Amino acid sequence: MDEIVKVESVTRRFPLNHDKTRNLVSALNDANLRVEAGEFLAIAGPSGSGKTTLLNLIGCIDQPTSGRILVDGVDTSKLSPARMSTLRREKIGFVFQTFNLIPVFTAAENVEYPLLIKGMGSHERRERVADALESVGLSARAGHRPDLLSGGERQRVAVARAIVHHPALVLADEPTANLDTHNATQLIDLMHGLNRRLGLTFIFSTHDARLLEHTDRIVRLCDGHIQSDSLNEGGIRGQVLASSLS
Amino acid sequence: MGKFLLLAFRNVFRNRRRTLMTLFMVGGGVAGLLLAGGYFAFMTRGLRESTINNGLGHLQIFTADHFRRDEVRVLDTGIENWQKVAATVTSAQHVRGVAPRIDFYGMVSNGTKAAGFMGSAVDPVAEKSLGFISRVVSGRELDTKPGGEVEALVGIGLAKSMNVKVGDGLTILAMTSDGALNGVDVQVVGIVNSGIAELDARYVRITLTAAQRLLQSDRVTNLVVGLDSTDNTDLAFNELTPRLQGLPQQMELKKWIDLATYYKQVSNMFNGIFLFMGIIVFFMVLMSSVNTLLMSMMERTREIGTMLAMGTPRLWVVALFMVEATLLGVMGAAAGVAAGNLFGTLLNSAGLHMPPPPGYTEAILFKVLHVPSIMIVSSMLVIFSLAFASIVPAIRASRLQIAEALAHV
Repeated sequence: MDEIVKVESVTRRFPLNHDKTRNLVSALNDANLRVEAGEFLAIAGPSGSGKTTLLNLIGCIDQPTSGRILVDGVDTSKLSPARMSTLRREKIGFVFQTFNLIPVFTAAENVEYPLLIKGMGSHERRERVADALESVGLSARAGHRPDLLSGGERQRVAVARAIVHHPALVLADEPTANLDTHNATQLIDLMHGLNRRLGLTFIFSTHDARLLEHTDRIVRLCDGHIQSDSLNEGGIRGQVLASSLS
Repeated sequence: MGKFLLLAFRNVFRNRRRTLMTLFMVGGGVAGLLLAGGYFAFMTRGLRESTINNGLGHLQIFTADHFRRDEVRVLDTGIENWQKVAATVTSAQHVRGVAPRIDFYGMVSNGTKAAGFMGSAVDPVAEKSLGFISRVVSGRELDTKPGGEVEALVGIGLAKSMNVKVGDGLTILAMTSDGALNGVDVQVVGIVNSGIAELDARYVRITLTAAQRLLQSDRVTNLVVGLDSTDNTDLAFNELTPRLQGLPQQMELKKWIDLATYYKQVSNMFNGIFLFMGIIVFFMVLMSSVNTLLMSMMERTREIGTMLAMGTPRLWVVALFMVEATLLGVMGAAAGVAAGNLFGTLLNSAGLHMPPPPGYTEAILFKVLHVPSIMIVSSMLVIFSLAFASIVPAIRASRLQIAEALAHV
């Protein structure tokens, strides 16, 4: 399989106050991780363990203090801010904990947004948006604004927005944290289905034990250190992977 | 592009109360400028027309020598064979008529006292046909029929210092074109008040025929041209300029605006006041809008972070904020233009009057003109002000650290 993400000895420190040279706190320490294309990977750990920091670094919305990250073979540490922006636009889809939909846009317009900034023509945009909304089961809600959608529906719109431009990688930061169990399970099933059906690579962070059952691979973080990186044999694909490894 | 504008448009109405307040403020500024500018325009237009109708005319023809040198002898820089020049001009489009004038100086005496005067000789028929009116406060205008005694109008100040009233006689003395001293007895038929005390203290007006007899010359100082409308001044000027080229004397054509010093001073004063008001409105809109737009930016920090995370170019974010502010400006300007015109119409229909200015006895009608150029300038002013106000919030929004913005609560 192709390697889609490679994290090499990445450390991220944040200053505790305005003096950026002193009182640094480490959010991530010497992390190493490889993710293959088509994987469905969970980054698990308690609050403050560095899950979001790792996702932000992989998603090119933050820069490591040391080490390097390759996304689809591109060394992100060597990219200018504008090239990073282009990389995010072209290769990465984001799903956020709080949905982060544009409130004045309808569901369809929110899904269309990544295509707009890519400069895609209107005809193709319409087709892609329709496909994406259909794939998350929200075709009937296309014209509704986020405030008229339930939490689960909003997050499904966010997933449709993350996949509409056919990214190489979808990053989801605690996507089920604001959902009830029913909606959370539905969302994970949806993402897993998209992962299997479209071959999309999903990396998501969670500290929700319910969700980990559905994942193939779990990377556990604690205090900025990767404690374990294991296949989840309870997971559907994990079972296949585990049996092939044994 | 369409979706981008749609996003900007919907963002404008995201916080309706705040948008309404901003529109109210921007619209109020525009409406205020429209009302003030419309009133100034009415005053300026009134002054322009009264300046022209009080005898300045729309165009004046002089010999070129008139501006090149002082007269050595009376009327030696004047127009000879002025009737031919007048005929050349009269046939032009928009010309209603031509009135010859002579400016002359001399002494006036009531038999016991003498004083210097500034004389103006006119053709009463031509003046009347062009609607040029003297501000006669007692007596009447000069008679249009020739013959009889030489009639004169005198300024109210001169009449007072010479102790004359309508019906009294005066003697006026002036140098002839040959350098001799000549005099003529005149009968005061009217007393005029131009509103300018310095002029009224020395002003004498007689007929052109009487002045030519007094000065022993058939020349005139200038020809005053009246047009059908002040708006046609430039057209007539352009048509008359070549016509005056082939005449024996080199002529120079002047527009009324070049001769109306007082009008220009008043007009400049109104323009200065309007500019000052415009600057106040500009900064008023600027200061309050910066605050509003910064608040809007702060409220949307996470949303902007999301847009940037998805790969939105930072320039787009700058453009989005600037377009939103510009849209707000356009809507505020439209509301202001509508409100300003509505209030203007209501005020006009109320028939209000302003107290008379110094030197005048009659109250002045309060009227607001609907001037398209003022609407455009006022609208552009607030639109530019809002666009300018959005620069700081727009740049701050575009420079947000994405990770921090996404964590913003």
